[in-house]
Amino acid sequence: MAQPQGLLYSKDHEWAKVDGDVATVGITDYAQQSLGDIVFVELPRAGAKLEQGANAGVVESVKAVSDLFTPVGGEIVEVNPAIEGDPGLVNRDPFGEGWMFKVKVADLAAQRGNLLDSAAYEKLVQESDH
Amino acid sequence: MMNESVERRTVLHDEHLALGARMVPFGGFSMPVQYEGILKEHEAVRKRAGLFDLSHMAQYFFTGAGVAEWLDGLTVNKVATMKPGQARYNIFTNEQGGAHDDVIVYRLDDLRWMVVVNAGNAVKMLGYLTPRVPAGVEFVSKHGGNANIAIQGPLSERLLAPVAGADVASMKYYACLECAVDGVPAIVARTGYTGEDGFEIFVEGEAAPRIWRKLLAAGTAEGVRPCGLGARDLLRLEAGMPLYGHELTEEITPIQAGLAWVVKFDKAAFPGKEMLRRQAEADQYARIVGVTSVEGPPIREGYVVKYEEMPMGEIRSGAPSPTVGANIGTALVAKAAAAPGTRVTVEIRAREYPAEVVALPFYKREK
Repeated sequence: MAQPQGLLYSKDHEWAKVDGDVATVGITDYAQQSLGDIVFVELPRAGAKLEQGANAGVVESVKAVSDLFTPVGGEIVEVNPAIEGDPGLVNRDPFGEGWMFKVKVADLAAQRGNLLDSAAYEKLVQESDH
Repeated sequence: MMNESVERRTVLHDEHLALGARMVPFGGFSMPVQYEGILKEHEAVRKRAGLFDLSHMAQYFFTGAGVAEWLDGLTVNKVATMKPGQARYNIFTNEQGGAHDDVIVYRLDDLRWMVVVNAGNAVKMLGYLTPRVPAGVEFVSKHGGNANIAIQGPLSERLLAPVAGADVASMKYYACLECAVDGVPAIVARTGYTGEDGFEIFVEGEAAPRIWRKLLAAGTAEGVRPCGLGARDLLRLEAGMPLYGHELTEEITPIQAGLAWVVKFDKAAFPGKEMLRRQAEADQYARIVGVTSVEGPPIREGYVVKYEEMPMGEIRSGAPSPTVGANIGTALVAKAAAAPGTRVTVEIRAREYPAEVVALPFYKREK
């Protein structure tokens, strides 16, 4: 899957879609493929305040536990209610229905320097595949 | 800077790559952990059939009149009473009654035997057995050069029959025989590690890729899939089967592992026999139990199990179980916490989650 345009990416394989001062966050297709079948996701609670890159929960596959980091810092304003009952949603539609949470970002301009555009992220993915 | 050790390859290595398998090091070999995905492969085995490459396990061949008595002196289960055409689960023990390895012993005829040993224990077992082989017994170790293809699942018989030169449909569970498979000499056993019906096919390496491809081609339309070690571990855990290093170790004895049925005291002496007899009679030992949780994250190896707020043991194996519909695991717990129905908690990332002790297995197939 070519990396969708218009998103920002972290080196930890998360994406952020910014709309005004709210960013929707998820993990990328590369991440879900690497993890395999996702069976459990632990997400932050609404109201939690996280710094950019901070631990935001876990994503568990059949065999392993992986840390989830938030690509953008701010206050968690919404968490995807569909994931708890259907963690496989993240595998099936990582950029769409498998979104994880939404963050109210106070200072996106300052944080942007730590994020990659789709071309840079695509390069990271190519270099990650050995 | 340390050199990374290079894994050995089975004869089916290229097949796995061609199928897009994700390879991992296991027991000294590069092995497929998954192809399409663990859950899909698991489902294939429970509902239809899956193919596994088990060529990383060592195949030891023993020939001679003295084999049975010799193996009886090293293992917990009875060997001399095995008839040609029988396979039997067995355990090699140490002087404390702990396990060197769990194996399957196959009696091919009066004088010829095969013992299949865990890949991760092959070096240990080769070192242990070689100096102990008695005069008159020939020992040949095949490790990696031979192949072992397992077919597991309800469709196994239907998949194997057309290529087998014997009536495999009439084989009883844990029977073994020698016949041609796809025209090549093979040992076929109705054994497995998934809790489903199935067969293991032992052949020389050269013929294996062709047989593997043939079975896959014949079965694909009916949903037969190649399956990796990830699915294998999930299937055996659901079926309550021990994995060496987890439920059975040099320290965890067969009695503790719930395998008293394998240990026969009315036979010749074997290492640790009196220790095991006393352990079984005293019945005070910590033991392997099943644990299930229905809320929270999967329970995993290393997580602490608490009973009445006291740490009681650790999870030894764990996974989310599609068949059971809950998180399952095994734990070594004190006797006080071991009765089925006992409410315990499992500590996961600094939080306690409720769980329950259950009897093994978690899953038993309908006969």
